[in-house]
Amino acid sequence: MKQSKHDLGSTKNEGMENVPMEERRQFLKMGLAITGIFAGGTIFSAVSVIDRVFASSEEFTAQYPYKPHYGMILFQNRCVDCERCVAACAETNHVPHEGYRTRILMKEMPDAVGLKREFIPVLCNHCNVPQCTRVCPTKATYKDPVNGIVMMDTSKCIGCLTCQEGCPYNARYFDEHRQAVDKCNFCFDTRLSKGEKLTACAAACPASCRVFGDLSDKGSDLYKAIHQLERPVWVLRPEAGTKPSVFYTKDTSAVAFK
Amino acid sequence: MANGAETAQLTLNGLESMVTTRLKSGSMGYYFLLLLCGGLVLAAAGLGIHAMVAGHDKYYNVYREVPWGILISTYVFFVVTSTGLCLVSSIGHVFGNQDFMPIAKRSVFLSIATILSGFFVIAFEIKIPWRMAIYNVISPNLTSNIWWMGTLYGVYLAFMFAEYVFLLLDRHKPAVFCGFSGSVAGIAAHSNLGAVFGLLMGREFWHGPYMPIYFIASAMMTGCSVIILFHFLGYRINKEEMPVAMKKALRVTAKLGVLLICVILFFTTWKMISGLAGRPAGKYEAVMALLSGPYAVNFWVFELGLGMLFPLVMFIRSKGENLKMMFSGALAMIVGIFVMRYDLVVVGQIVPVYHELGVNEYKHLLSYAPSLYETVITLGGFGLTAFLFLLGEKLFAGHKVEENH
Amino acid sequence: MNKHCATIAICLAIAMPAVAAENHGGDVVYTKPVKSVLFSHKLHVEEKGLSCDMCHARTFDMQALKAQENADFTMKSLVEGKYCGACHNGTMAFASNTRCAACHTGVKGGGPPRGGKH
Repeated sequence: MKQSKHDLGSTKNEGMENVPMEERRQFLKMGLAITGIFAGGTIFSAVSVIDRVFASSEEFTAQYPYKPHYGMILFQNRCVDCERCVAACAETNHVPHEGYRTRILMKEMPDAVGLKREFIPVLCNHCNVPQCTRVCPTKATYKDPVNGIVMMDTSKCIGCLTCQEGCPYNARYFDEHRQAVDKCNFCFDTRLSKGEKLTACAAACPASCRVFGDLSDKGSDLYKAIHQLERPVWVLRPEAGTKPSVFYTKDTSAVAFK
Repeated sequence: MANGAETAQLTLNGLESMVTTRLKSGSMGYYFLLLLCGGLVLAAAGLGIHAMVAGHDKYYNVYREVPWGILISTYVFFVVTSTGLCLVSSIGHVFGNQDFMPIAKRSVFLSIATILSGFFVIAFEIKIPWRMAIYNVISPNLTSNIWWMGTLYGVYLAFMFAEYVFLLLDRHKPAVFCGFSGSVAGIAAHSNLGAVFGLLMGREFWHGPYMPIYFIASAMMTGCSVIILFHFLGYRINKEEMPVAMKKALRVTAKLGVLLICVILFFTTWKMISGLAGRPAGKYEAVMALLSGPYAVNFWVFELGLGMLFPLVMFIRSKGENLKMMFSGALAMIVGIFVMRYDLVVVGQIVPVYHELGVNEYKHLLSYAPSLYETVITLGGFGLTAFLFLLGEKLFAGHKVEENH
Repeated sequence: MNKHCATIAICLAIAMPAVAAENHGGDVVYTKPVKSVLFSHKLHVEEKGLSCDMCHARTFDMQALKAQENADFTMKSLVEGKYCGACHNGTMAFASNTRCAACHTGVKGGGPPRGGKH
């Protein structure tokens, strides 16, 4: 609920903006009282819709509830599955051999016209309506109130794996060494909090496939890559309603090499 | 043999001698079964603890894409059964329907036994259960259905336990209060368990309001079959003739069972049709896996045949009189329902989350089959229910209810 | 599994010139500076009709994979017209800085996705 307070002033129209704050609270309380224990999580997750971020390409005037609002856009056509990102991630974050926080998927279309293969990097989407944090019984996974990263507090994880079921992106794994579910946290503990500007995967990519940054920073490459109409921008599994902070695009212009 | 009413005026010595006499009354077969079930529980506990210490990943067949396996489905099975026992038995002694009165005591006892079996199994599925005890209390997440389910089942167990004690002491009023509270907690807990599955947006086979509703209806169905099964067995063990009132209670239970099988058949029909019409992405593949894919035998033979159609025919043909027919129907139904829970949990996960992406890695449906450890722990859960049931039959002398009300 | 395939493919590629029945070098799998790039002699010689000395006169040594030992065997030099970039410049063939996955087969080392393997 902390998060909702945080961005009430800046949310986009949810059809309720004219309702005074007090009335809204009253209404929500009433709803809670009525539905009570039967509703369990449902009513709370309905409330969290006000955290929704309109970070799709259509929404130019997006307001982001976090500062910095970390996110990433992947230029899907640039990925060649060299997997330097996967290796850099594993080394930086001590990902066990049996797990991974990012992975490259391969799509093949032998009968396609022209290019017959593409690679699709996947990682935690740092959703703005995360399923995983809603279902966690002990708040072992939570959305960071400052930067919006979906974090793990491994000491609280009971290992029920409901978050793994809830995640529509298969971004979570059980780490037997840490005895907790673990996941990508945009290298927050290993890099960002130490002053690095990029995640390990983004830094390791030789083809600038991964552009990491602050979604709310209008000057950032990330912001510019998303808020434009010339190239399509999409998210994975939009029907899951998770409002990811990770976006995908393809550019037809030439790739610039470092 | 001592009557339940006596328990109100017991001394410690009297209690001891009574328990001893009652336990000594069992046959060789009884002791053999008791030992077998006890051994099964110990074996399951041993393997479960070993897996916990040595690493679940080495001994369980669940994996990243299919994190929930037979232990979760067995847990669901037991709590479904427990909730069903609680609800069906409360029709009599909570809501005052005289016909259901005689089954109350044994049913309440069994609802405690089954939920304990459920907890026993899930303790070995959850990777770090001791953290649950701490952080469920100091760091609750009120949006989590798992949290509500766990908490409410805790409350439920407490009420059911209290109810049973009051029933033993023949204190009707507090027993009714506890029974009512237990039913409310049970329904709340159980529908939240349905919501654990139903509210996952990314899992099409589960997603929707269907699950919480279906869970309650199928709990009642399960309750009917378990009541018939264990009452039949109970009188066998105690080598007693079933009184008229009890026969009547089982007759109405079978009638209720027929109604609920029809309800679940109806539910299942529409669940399948809704998964076929318009070929909804993610759901269609799962439904087809049940209808004509790798889970077709499970679905047609076990879920539909053993779980619903055979017991339906048996219950109807028995006219509520032929106890053996009713027993065979109930037994088949329990087997079928166990497979139903297994399919519900596993089939919900076999369509990979990235299936629609068309990538090589997730083109095909995922598969899962329980490991030896998982199987033994599952059997241990059944062992625990059977052990507690057998013990209870002797300790509480056939859970008799006085005939005076 | 896929890594094994890649390894086998590499071994085959090295062994190919000795055992090759065809009059070209077969498949060559480059693993530096990134894994992996598949160069198909079949595609270039048989289907596109290039002659050996178009490449092997100056751009590439006859010994397979020798080029990848050079420090300048990078995408940057390809874009500047070296190695593959001599032809893959946007006029003779698609430019080196476009259509990445046409040549790059990745760590998983899938072959040229022309056959009906998957």
